[in-house]
Amino acid sequence: MINQNKLIVSHAPFWHNGSGIAERSYNVMGAALLAVLAGFMRYGMPAVGVVCLSVSMAMFWELAYTRLTKMPDTIGDGNAAMFGLVLAMMLPATTPWWIVVIGTFLAIIIGRQIYGGIGSNAFHPAVLATAILIISWKNHFNFDGAYVAYNFDFLSRYPLGMLKNFGPRGIAHYDLMDLFLGRQVGGIGSGCGLALVLGGIYLMLRGYIRWEVSVSFLVGVFLTAQIFNMVNPERFAGPLFHILTGYTLLAAFFLITEDSSSPVNPLPMVIYGLGGGLLVVLIRNIGAHTDGTLYAVLTMNLVNPLLDKIRPKALGKVA
Amino acid sequence: MGSQKELRFAYGLAIVLFVVGAFSYAAFSRNPPDPPLRMMYQVAVGNVLFDHQTHSAIPGIGLSCKDCHHHPLEEDTDTRACGDCHLVKESKKPPKACLDCHEPDEIEDTEMLTKSDAFHAQCISCHQDFGAGPVECAECHTK
Repeated sequence: MINQNKLIVSHAPFWHNGSGIAERSYNVMGAALLAVLAGFMRYGMPAVGVVCLSVSMAMFWELAYTRLTKMPDTIGDGNAAMFGLVLAMMLPATTPWWIVVIGTFLAIIIGRQIYGGIGSNAFHPAVLATAILIISWKNHFNFDGAYVAYNFDFLSRYPLGMLKNFGPRGIAHYDLMDLFLGRQVGGIGSGCGLALVLGGIYLMLRGYIRWEVSVSFLVGVFLTAQIFNMVNPERFAGPLFHILTGYTLLAAFFLITEDSSSPVNPLPMVIYGLGGGLLVVLIRNIGAHTDGTLYAVLTMNLVNPLLDKIRPKALGKVA
Repeated sequence: MGSQKELRFAYGLAIVLFVVGAFSYAAFSRNPPDPPLRMMYQVAVGNVLFDHQTHSAIPGIGLSCKDCHHHPLEEDTDTRACGDCHLVKESKKPPKACLDCHEPDEIEDTEMLTKSDAFHAQCISCHQDFGAGPVECAECHTK
């Protein structure tokens, strides 16, 4: 009965690139693969374990839910696998297995299925799950602590942690090109800017994500960080540092662009992206959290229905 | 892909990834090296990341093990972890580590600095003596 409601259609515009759900899911996973491989190279087999377990457990929870509720199997559409992969990209490579199991449960069951399944989730499932995990087990998400057993050939301190604690003087030794090429600690698939940008461009060109959201999000981060930096460069980092660190680029192409939780019209998309970018920097610069990206995405997910009300007037009477 | 083909592919993918994931966790879990590279002390007022390698290695600060691991002085091997003797909470009883080598009646002075006091004394005094390294709270205790 719930699914029948999805067929009630009220207004345009619609966007269809001709592909099915499975093709879309596996294309997103393919686009993310470059960033994930960069994580594998950086963190080795522990990262492989987290990613493989996350994807398989996400599929397991999907299967378990559909079996228990006697609904048709939907793991074939690859959507659960995609959220499992995106979740793993945000996790440290040393994440314990039980956090991965709980995280995938939160993403698939709490974040998606109880809202009605694919296309009905109000929040990005993987972002919601990661935010809950971070609040619940903060120390497992401390990237400085997570990688104490790794001997890196670059600065081993989490860049945003250094910024939060020591201000711009704490990040003086970070090279922006190094950050872009992934020579920084962070989530398995969130550290390599180059790989994320290439994946994002692919998704935008193929129409799997809307460029309006990604670009306006990055513009929002850039402009807000630039204003803060111009007002007080002694206290606030420059815009490129904010773009190249934390979950910013992952969010621009894989998180804030999630179709169910983002607007459908161009103007709301731009406002949505700009708002997300603004919140990221606000939370980082004057908020309590080291990286505000997840909370920025969730907040924009929350206001998404309001933004969706900005829409063209219907020409005819809608039944 | 047809629906059945998609399902078969998904089942196969899930099984293969689960096996690889479980194997990776079982066989490649990352254990801290000995001696450690870095150590994260989880403290309520802010965690402290201690760079063991930078303090011990040359080039680096190049401290001798005994500069910090100061007991037992006569042994060259097996430096004890700080927490073996400097317990988190004050205790009237000698730490269990003492009893590994000493009889209870051999131990006259049972007052042992807590781990927190020992670290503060050791780190700050050394940093002050050499005019290098953090001495303010927020320079070590980070959010």
